[in-house]
Amino acid sequence: MAKLLHIAAKDFKIVARDKAAFLILLGMPLALIFILGSALGGVGESESVDIAVAIVDVDEGSSGADFAERITEVEDLQALFNMEVRSDAEAVRAEVERGDLTAALVLPSDFSERLDAGEPVTLEVLQDPGSEIAAGIWSGVARAAAANLSAGQVIRVTVADALAGAGVPAGAQDEQTGGHDHEIELDAVVVEEAEVDTDTRVGMIDFYAAGQTAMFLLFGSMFGAFTFVKERREQTLARALTTPTSKFQIVGGKSLGILGVAAGQFLVLYIGTMLIFRVDWGNAPAATVVVGIAEAWAATGLGMALAALGKTERSIGGIGPAVIMLFGAVGGSMIPAEFMPAWMAPIQSVSPSYWALESFLGLMRGEAASTVIGPVAILLGIGAALYAFGVWRLRYE
Amino acid sequence: MGDIVTVDGLAKRFGDLVAVDHVSFSIAEGEIFGLLGPNGAGKTTTISMISCLIDPTEGDASVAGSSIRSEPLAVKRALGVVPQEIALYPTLSAAENLAFWGRMYGLSGAELKHAVDDALELAGLADRAKERVEEYSGGMKRRINIAAGVLHKPQVLLMDEPTVGIDPQSRNHILETVKELNEAGVTVLYTSHYMEEVEFLCDRIAIMDHGRIIAMGTLNELRDVVGGMDVITVSVENVSDDVLEQVRASEGITKADRSDGGLTVLTASSGSVLGKLVATLESEGAHVTSVTVAEPDLESVFLHLTGKSLRD
Repeated sequence: MAKLLHIAAKDFKIVARDKAAFLILLGMPLALIFILGSALGGVGESESVDIAVAIVDVDEGSSGADFAERITEVEDLQALFNMEVRSDAEAVRAEVERGDLTAALVLPSDFSERLDAGEPVTLEVLQDPGSEIAAGIWSGVARAAAANLSAGQVIRVTVADALAGAGVPAGAQDEQTGGHDHEIELDAVVVEEAEVDTDTRVGMIDFYAAGQTAMFLLFGSMFGAFTFVKERREQTLARALTTPTSKFQIVGGKSLGILGVAAGQFLVLYIGTMLIFRVDWGNAPAATVVVGIAEAWAATGLGMALAALGKTERSIGGIGPAVIMLFGAVGGSMIPAEFMPAWMAPIQSVSPSYWALESFLGLMRGEAASTVIGPVAILLGIGAALYAFGVWRLRYE
Repeated sequence: MGDIVTVDGLAKRFGDLVAVDHVSFSIAEGEIFGLLGPNGAGKTTTISMISCLIDPTEGDASVAGSSIRSEPLAVKRALGVVPQEIALYPTLSAAENLAFWGRMYGLSGAELKHAVDDALELAGLADRAKERVEEYSGGMKRRINIAAGVLHKPQVLLMDEPTVGIDPQSRNHILETVKELNEAGVTVLYTSHYMEEVEFLCDRIAIMDHGRIIAMGTLNELRDVVGGMDVITVSVENVSDDVLEQVRASEGITKADRSDGGLTVLTASSGSVLGKLVATLESEGAHVTSVTVAEPDLESVFLHLTGKSLRD
């Protein structure tokens, strides 16, 4: 075991001192996350026009409909929002949860009754946390409309009190004010924001952090394969075989080195993107790390397979990036996987980048840590299959 | 002293190519044994089999009583190997390289540290131990390459052409190092195609050609193979194939072949041959710049046995 660790530590040190490896394994993904995340940051949030919102009117009286009408008839709001008045509160809540609606304003069933009684009314705004800006605008609209309603209430109460002071009979006051006798309340109608219980939507910078990490982790495999071929060329592998060290120890040590490089690369990208780009990897860091390590294992298997297939560093430098870019592209590292045609599904199913990215994104959206068990098992399986092929076909001389 | 290395009928075939053809020899403990032969003679393949790097097609060998076929780990523990290539990690320092190879031989802790320090002293590079090997000259790399093979103090050291492509000063340092190691008790199997090195170092020598051992013995025993003959070395330019054939056909000349910068001729009657040889060469337009007559050496032995120069 000690020799295995010494070989792994030596390979880790060699890769860590390789400026080209440093650039490709860490510099490139961080640069691409920054460029793609910044350039495409607005696209995913669709906040420019036609924001889908709803007013849920389940008021048993008529004030709710009047209130909703006052909002939906404002031309400026019509230009910005695609508004509809609905009465199915649960369905609307579900649509906000899914992200089909950006936000909704919910008028309670006793809206008219409380207004008529001069009691405070609380309106609820449901917001999709993934569309923070758009939902915030809708919330502002709801607050402004509520403030108008509150002002109307104040006027009504003030007039009623004035009429009473002037000796106008109560019956006549009722005709003017609605017949209420109570204190003036400036916050007669308040808006209460509510976050729906929904998946968190992933911003572009988060998406590309996950995507580029999932793809560039596989590049660690290429450098692992390079070390094998270089050792063959420089005869250090042959020299190692003349020492009292078994092939199992040599291959195991070198594999551990690739795993260490890929795992170290993942941790640097994981922590680095959090610190530099404020990437939100979700609330299950342990699960995220498990996925990262599982993909590092898949990268180890790929490294062994590349070392077996490539006779020279040049051939690995040709095969490696082609395979890795293909895995990354179909796996959704550049364009979200759901945009890929159905015929790509078989390639996706063997792409370590795909399974890692799906897991990362799921955790970012707030899915339970247990959802990564399946993808992690698949990543381990892909790694094992590639590793077995690599060991089977590996040439030592 | 008993034999510490025994090679018995070792053979290696790569498809139709016979690289080593049933080679047998033994090396006594404390001896420096030389394998001399031109490139492609089978020296490296023989060493590769003894060091358990490749499996023999036939035959067996033992090192310190352990068979390369049945006890390869025990053989490897007894051996130190200095490969022909500079098998080091260029981006690691000399000390890091030595520490790594020491660990591969099971050294650790204070023992490893002392071994690394001793090996650096042996290589004469203690003051540059922290520099990356890629920054070293060719000769310095060769010295570290040797140090990596001996730092675990092996019983037997296999050295495969350890002086290829280096300057004379580094070569002398390496040859002196081999002598020192041998005086310290290390048995050495040394391969080379430089006869001067083998003559200088080795107690016994086996001459290889085309995968076979064609002669074996001490330097004097091998010289006796061409007993009574002289070697004429002619520095001459432009020796054509026709001229060479004319020389070979001349009376009194046993063998003749091209060598570095001229022609090597083996003859039992140098006094009568010399004048005719120079005349033949000059009549054919070759420009003779010097002629020397000497006692036989390994070059002449090889020429006598194979009809060709050692460096062909």
